[in-house]
Amino acid sequence: MKGKQLSIDKRKRREAYGFILPAFLYMLLVLGYPLIYNVFLSFKNVNVKNLTKGGSVFVGLQNYIELFQNDTFLLVIKNTFVFTIACLIFQFTIGFAFAIFFYQKFRLSGPIRGMVLVSYMMPMAVTGLLGKNIFSNLGLINNLLSKIGITGPEWLVNTSTALIAVIIMNCWVGIPFNMLLLISGLTSISGEVYESASIDGANWGQRFVFITLPMMKGSMLAVLMLGFIYTFRAFDLMYIMTAGGPLNSTDVLGTYSYMLSFTQFQFSKGSAVAMVLFVCLFIVGLFYLHLLSKEDD
Amino acid sequence: MFKTRVGKKEFFNSVIAIIIAIIFLFPIYWLAQISFKSDAETFGKVLTYFPHEFTFDPWLVNLTDATFLLSLRNSFINAACTMLITLVLGVPAAYGMGRYKVPGSNVFLLTFLVSQMLPASLTLTPMYLIFNKIGLLGSHIAAPVAIAATSIPFAIVTLRPYFKSVPVALDEAARLDGCNSLRAFISVMIPAVKTGIITIIVISFLNGWNDLVFSMTFNVGAEMRPLTANIYKFQNAYGTKWNCIMAYGTILVIPVILLFIFLQKYIIGGLTAGAVKD
Repeated sequence: MKGKQLSIDKRKRREAYGFILPAFLYMLLVLGYPLIYNVFLSFKNVNVKNLTKGGSVFVGLQNYIELFQNDTFLLVIKNTFVFTIACLIFQFTIGFAFAIFFYQKFRLSGPIRGMVLVSYMMPMAVTGLLGKNIFSNLGLINNLLSKIGITGPEWLVNTSTALIAVIIMNCWVGIPFNMLLLISGLTSISGEVYESASIDGANWGQRFVFITLPMMKGSMLAVLMLGFIYTFRAFDLMYIMTAGGPLNSTDVLGTYSYMLSFTQFQFSKGSAVAMVLFVCLFIVGLFYLHLLSKEDD
Repeated sequence: MFKTRVGKKEFFNSVIAIIIAIIFLFPIYWLAQISFKSDAETFGKVLTYFPHEFTFDPWLVNLTDATFLLSLRNSFINAACTMLITLVLGVPAAYGMGRYKVPGSNVFLLTFLVSQMLPASLTLTPMYLIFNKIGLLGSHIAAPVAIAATSIPFAIVTLRPYFKSVPVALDEAARLDGCNSLRAFISVMIPAVKTGIITIIVISFLNGWNDLVFSMTFNVGAEMRPLTANIYKFQNAYGTKWNCIMAYGTILVIPVILLFIFLQKYIIGGLTAGAVKD
């Protein structure tokens, strides 16, 4: 009897692995192997010359040291953080306000809440094209500004305004996405809690501060971290809208790494930049996973 | 006019909602309306908010261009291949992880969750070098192979709860009827989680369709690239002819909008499930 049980278990286990392993091995091959390859690459000096002929050698931390001594790279790091944090602040607060607004029950709430998400589904490359158009000198934004008597800057030509334009375009995509995730967080708060609070005489503001915020803590944190992970690795938007310019003022780690690898063909340098990007994401990712595992319990 | 407070509130909420919708959808209107403008109007000194002389010329410029048509085809190939790889590998894995508790399942789940977070930049350079070595550069399959690595974890994380919620009895009944586990999976379990499968189909298709970075890195030749990756080429060709550029962009967005209109509930369900909840 015991033996039979064991053999059934074994068969089940084999079945399970049969279903899971193909995907798992695929991920190891297509993601895991390149990941490790990238680590090695970042400690070598592979470029277009020695790529085909061979002869690349390990150079230790040299790529990293050179990067951190390079002002452009430091600017790129700054840009990446400014971009990410600015996007997070606006996406999250406006997204949260929208979530609370659309969480109310009225006839148009469902359809419009869905409609605004279309910007999230669009190719980022087209969002970039659109941004390039509406922030051009005689474009929509400056036209609207001139209607209220303001002469708009040459957004994408000035080093001080280009990043702002990119941030605005990214928020157009990010706000609806944050809204969607936060609405699903709101849905998980049971209505009874609110009802009993209303009976106790709590007004809207009190209910928000003492019920909504504490109960949403988990999903708010999750949305912020996920937002960080998605925003920090941005590439498509800058690549199409500004190509990192003018003068690297919209260059972020993603675009800088790409440029080093594929326009200057300094593959090892590009890998080292990607590693810096990875480490930042990894730290936030750990917190996110920790949060998910807590939710599971 | 309003007899009740509720009616008044409904009215004001609706007005605000419509204003939000207009602000958020306006850029898409903007994209489309420029694509119907004549050259003269595009280059005119005055910015117009709708085409005064409506024309299809910018569309025809794109649709009669051989490279454009090839790119359009490549976009579909990219999307279809990504979708296929994701379905074939992701759906069974989601089932295996939702249904069986095996040693190592936590490791699997962690791997899939982590791989969702990795930036493309991280694997781009090594993959380029690897594909270069094994001769996959400049092939239709190179980009989908890489894109699927982001869709598969998404499929698993999204579908696993669906499979978990299907009663085990359904599975067992199929096996008692003499199905082996693979047949039970295909003929009983997949239909039972149809909603989730449609979500995966749509999202993985869009992942392939929207991709820029893998497609442009692994395909150097313009005739091998999808629409997204050829944007620069056409921008250079059109100069500041924004009507032609926007027609290009509009065509690129149409499939997305169609999918969005008809399959919205699957998309939205998937986005929420895949992102926050396990």
